Amino acid sequence: MQKLRTALIIGATSAAITFLFGGWSAVVVGVIAGAVIGMTYGQRSALRTPNGIGREAVVPGLVGGLVVVLGGVIHQFIVRPATGQSPFFTHTLRFFGSNAQIDSITVLIISSVVAILAAAAAAFLIGSAQGLPPDKRNRQIAFALGGFLLLFPFYEQITNLNWMGALITVQIYILLALGLNIVVGYAGLLDLGYAAFFAIGAYTTALLNSPRIEIQWNFWLVIWIAAAVAAIAGIVLGAPTLPLRGDYLAIVTLGFGEIVPVIFRNLIAVTIREPFTRFCFVGCDPAVEVRIACLYSCEGPLNLTGGEAGVNPIGRPVIPFTPDSLFGSSSYLPWYFLVLALIVFSIFLISRLRDSRIGRAWMAMREDELAASQMGIDPVKTKLLAFSMGATFSGFAGAFYGAYIAAIFPGVFDFSVSVIILCMVILGGLGNMIGVIIGGILIMGTDRLFLPQIATLLKKFMQVSVLPNVSNEALRDFLSTSVDPIQMRLALFGIVLVIMMLVRPEGLVPSAERRAELHAGEEPRGAPVTADEPTT
Amino acid sequence: MLELKDVHTYYGNIHALKGISLKVEKGEIVTLIGSNGAGKTTTLRTIQGLLRPRSGSIVLEGEELTKIPPHLITERGVSQSPEGRLIFPRMTVLENLEMGAFSRKDKDGIKRDLERVCIVFPRLKERVKQKGGTLSGGEQQMLAMGRALMANPRVLLLDEPSMGLAPILVEQIFQIIQELNKQGTTILLVEQNARMALSIAHRGYVLQTGHIRLQGDAKRLHDDEEVRKTYLGEE
Repeated sequence: MQKLRTALIIGATSAAITFLFGGWSAVVVGVIAGAVIGMTYGQRSALRTPNGIGREAVVPGLVGGLVVVLGGVIHQFIVRPATGQSPFFTHTLRFFGSNAQIDSITVLIISSVVAILAAAAAAFLIGSAQGLPPDKRNRQIAFALGGFLLLFPFYEQITNLNWMGALITVQIYILLALGLNIVVGYAGLLDLGYAAFFAIGAYTTALLNSPRIEIQWNFWLVIWIAAAVAAIAGIVLGAPTLPLRGDYLAIVTLGFGEIVPVIFRNLIAVTIREPFTRFCFVGCDPAVEVRIACLYSCEGPLNLTGGEAGVNPIGRPVIPFTPDSLFGSSSYLPWYFLVLALIVFSIFLISRLRDSRIGRAWMAMREDELAASQMGIDPVKTKLLAFSMGATFSGFAGAFYGAYIAAIFPGVFDFSVSVIILCMVILGGLGNMIGVIIGGILIMGTDRLFLPQIATLLKKFMQVSVLPNVSNEALRDFLSTSVDPIQMRLALFGIVLVIMMLVRPEGLVPSAERRAELHAGEEPRGAPVTADEPTT
Repeated sequence: MLELKDVHTYYGNIHALKGISLKVEKGEIVTLIGSNGAGKTTTLRTIQGLLRPRSGSIVLEGEELTKIPPHLITERGVSQSPEGRLIFPRMTVLENLEMGAFSRKDKDGIKRDLERVCIVFPRLKERVKQKGGTLSGGEQQMLAMGRALMANPRVLLLDEPSMGLAPILVEQIFQIIQELNKQGTTILLVEQNARMALSIAHRGYVLQTGHIRLQGDAKRLHDDEEVRKTYLGEE
């Protein structure tokens, strides 16, 4: 019974999404809900064979899928009429160029059936994985996740879900959060100015890969340069903070985070003289020096960063033997896969770093700096490495962001970005990569996908169902202007954070160490040690 | 083996060590006793390079340590079980022990020392997978000592190993210290529990407000009237 209850809770939580989006979203949500049910299910099952657990998870999976579908039905027959939209309309299916029309009732039936079956299948697959030995289990989950991530964008494209734009932003922030997790989660250094490295990565791309310079550098080269420049910036920031700890370090990083966008905002009249725009390789005759790059007006003052107006346009990546328009603005698919590849690559690198000598040194420093230096750890090197490695990944994110948006402005990199990334790391679970990713999906997904949708629906709902029935003019004015979740997003965000810190300070998916630390008093002494964070 | 000559250490303007000279010979247990604030912990931190002496020299087997950065001093063979233990609470016992061997590269040697630590501290062996922070006080002290041993030190510095432990555990810890010494480890032991420390040490130094007040054979110090009055609480 308890297992069904869990399935109901997970289903209902997920149904919030189908409640908002309806239609085709049910299948995606069903798969996710089923997988989560399978995940929680296997842990408590009495049966230990993979198939046994899988079979047991099927029914809760079906139930969860049913609840999810219910959300879709409510959307279609209650939410849509209430917001002035007819429940009967035609969907467009896009098959890469050719379109097909399909009416909304058929869509509801098809997506509901597929969603329920998919939820059960996902519950079976993930549930059965729980019965396998750890490395096999992780491999099976990784395969399932990989399959989902590969198929999802095509499904999204065909069914016209229109989630991709928001999703790519979520991915960029996940990349940033993974990098910050090195600094804050592993090394325990509180960094409040992380957006600065994001800005440095993005501006490096903007300066090297923009039509403004004579030789536009290739994106695939620039992304490494951006990461390297960000890493160097990490060392530059790290060096003066070496004697600082805790609060003092946080204040210095806060200052750094404020300085960097201001610098980019004000680098508008820079005169770059000969040695920097013209390069002479060792031993060459100055008369035949090689001019590598000249920004327009090499002799006079130069508008390097474009000030408040930013840099626009920025070159897009090109893959050899494919059309140049592959990374054009018409399709999100290549961008999705590019940033997905960056994330997978980063996870691989970071997990290797975490398990290396350096990773151990970071964690020892986090635990106790004095004891760590007694173990023969060089605190200077370790701290600088943490800052520069953390910055590297935001350099990747910045380079991708610059190329993706194709224009950057200094206002994008302000303090709130640093805070949001930090919240993703803390909300998900400090020091645990999977937790950080989930935290990122929750925060940015809510911010970019659900809140706008809630806002649209609420606005329509107000216009159609509420405002006509309100006679008091002042109240009507208030309602029509003030009920806007987008305006209240920071307030909502704050409330969630406060609740979170009170209820679950270790994060949603904490690393074993933090759980032990924050709930030490609640567990009986000598309790079995919880397993370490699973690696994918 | 380890020799301090006229070491002066400051905390900012505070003159903490006012010319400490002491010697630890190979195979010895030397104890440093004294009351709170006498400079015992400061002496150990200065040896490890965590504090830099303003003048004086520290020589380990002919090598001057004052010029070497602290993380390399560990590599030279000085390791410490610090005051207050300072174990890594969120790492497992095994990970804590591995951290002790951080500056070593000889895998076989590390494995050998890990086995040795498990023999000396069977309690730790039972709890290798447990988080350091969940151990009892005595176990944490054993862990701190085991971690220091993992560096395969030429000189083992022990800072207040009896602090905050029940009398029966104190006795056990001191037995282990003696045992380690019999196996060939040279030990510099800092203690407030002067009676216990003098009973197992070969030689001792009495530290008072940054000066060496008395020194000599541990038995003689134990019988010294001033020591008896001031540190052993006898009339």
